[in-house]
Amino acid sequence: MSKQINLTLKVWRQNRGEEGKFETYEAKNIDTDASFLEMLDVVNDELTLKGIEPIAFEHDCREGICGCCGSTVNGKTHGSHERTTLCQLHMRHFEDGQNVVIEPFRATAFPVIKDLIVDRSGLDEIIAEGGYVSVKTGNAPEASTTPIKKEMAEAAMDAAECIGCGACVAACPNGSAMLFTSAKVSQYALLPQGHPERAQRVKNMVAKMDELGFGNCSNEYECAVSCPKGIDVKNIARLNREFIKANLGKN
Amino acid sequence: MSIKTSILSSIGQKLLLATSGLIMFLLFLIPHMGGNVLFLFGPDMFNSYAHHLHQLVPIVIGIELLMLTSISVHMIMAFRVVLANRKAADKRHTLKSSKERSLAARLMPVSGIMIFIFIVKHLLDFKFYEKAKTTLHGVETYDVYAMVLSRFQGDPVHLVFYVLFMVAVGFHLSHALQSSIQTYGIYVPREGSKIKLISAVVGWGMAATFAIIPIFAFIK
Ligand code: SF4
Ligand code: FES
Repeated sequence: MSKQINLTLKVWRQNRGEEGKFETYEAKNIDTDASFLEMLDVVNDELTLKGIEPIAFEHDCREGICGCCGSTVNGKTHGSHERTTLCQLHMRHFEDGQNVVIEPFRATAFPVIKDLIVDRSGLDEIIAEGGYVSVKTGNAPEASTTPIKKEMAEAAMDAAECIGCGACVAACPNGSAMLFTSAKVSQYALLPQGHPERAQRVKNMVAKMDELGFGNCSNEYECAVSCPKGIDVKNIARLNREFIKANLGKN
Repeated sequence: MSIKTSILSSIGQKLLLATSGLIMFLLFLIPHMGGNVLFLFGPDMFNSYAHHLHQLVPIVIGIELLMLTSISVHMIMAFRVVLANRKAADKRHTLKSSKERSLAARLMPVSGIMIFIFIVKHLLDFKFYEKAKTTLHGVETYDVYAMVLSRFQGDPVHLVFYVLFMVAVGFHLSHALQSSIQTYGIYVPREGSKIKLISAVVGWGMAATFAIIPIFAFIK
C-alpha cells in the first residue's frame, strides 16, 4: 500500500562558474510509489508556484537504461540501492520525516553545469577514442557466421551493460573512470569484431581518460559497489591486461 | 601512444609502482626477514649470518643500488599518483565510503610515508652505527648480535617505535600485494577472494615476524 510521506531536502544549487551551496526545501505529501525523480518533479512544481527556480536535474528514459540520471543521495551515488539508478529508486525506501541530502556527481572531470547536472561529456570523449568497431559491416550478417563462445558472449554482454552514468567516477575516491573505460574496452576485447583495433583502442582510450583529468585506480573497488549495472572490477583487471599486452605489442 | 607516454599514463605509473614495490618485497624484504629470524637462534647464528653477508659485498652493493632505484621510483610514482588523484576527486561534500574500502587501502600514503621514515631511522640505527668486534670460530667479526641487543634493552620507547612502524608495514603490504596483482591484470574479486586473504596473511605475518626481533631483544 502506498502512503504519503514528508521529507526535508538539502539540495545543491549552483550556476555554472559560480559557487554553489545547499538549500533546504520541504517535500510534502510524497507518494511512496513515486520514484525519486517524480518526487523532485513534485518539489519543482511547488518551487515554481513560489517563484523559486526549479532544481535542475538530468533524466531521460526513467527506466534505468539511458544513463542520464544520477546524483549522490545521502552520501551514496544513485542513493545506494544495489543495481538501481536514481530514476528507479522509489520513495518507499525513505521514511517519513527523513532528511535527504542531494549532491551532484562530483569529480574534477565532471564540472557542474547547473544544480545537479554535471558535464559528463568526458565519458563520450573516451568513447570517441575507440569505443566502437569501425569496420563497415553492411547488413546484419547471418547469425552464427562468426562463432563466439557462450562465456565470451556473456562476459561481453555483461560489460556492455554499462550505461555511462558516471556513478563509478563520482564514487571513486580518486575520481577515476577506470570502471567505465574497462567496461567499454572489455566489451570489444571479448568479441572477434573488436580484435582488429584492440591494441590501439585501449591505448587511445586510456590516454584520453588521463588527459581529461580522471584519477588513477587504486583498487579500492568503490566503483563496483556504486554501479547500477553491476559492472565488475574483473573488467578493470582485463583493461590492465589489454593495456600491458598492447604496449608489449602482443595483441 | 609512444612507450614514454605509456609509462607515464595512469596504468603505466601504477605498473611502475607495483613493480618497484614487488622488487623490494622479493629481493629485500623476504631475505631480510629470513636473516632477522636467525637472531632468535642466538649470537653465533646471527653473527655468522652477518659475517657471511659481508663476504658477499659485490652482491650486497648490487642489491642496495637496486633498492635505492626501486624506492626512488616507488616514491616518485606514488607522489604523482596520489597528487593526481587528490586533484581528480575534489570538493565532495557528502560522499561516504562503502565498507568495500579497506582501512589498509585508505592508509596507503600514510603507511608509505611512515615506512620511509622508518627506513631512514633503521639505517641510522644499524647500518651507519659503530659495531663492536667479536670472534667467531677463531675469526674476528662484527658483533651485530650485541649491537641489536644494546639498541633495545632498557629502551621501551625505541621498542614501541619499531613495533608501531611494523604495524604500518602490515597495513601497507596487505593492500599492496593484492592491489599489485590486480594492476598486473590478474582479477582479484571483490568478495571471498583468496588473493586478498593470502595478501593479508603474508603482509601481517611478515610485519609480525619483523616485530618479534625487537621484542625478543628487549625482553632478553
Ligand atoms: S560502469 Fe556502472 S557506474 Fe560506471 S558509468 Fe557504467 S553503468 Fe555507470
Ligand atoms: S533516466 Fe535513464 S537511466 Fe535514469
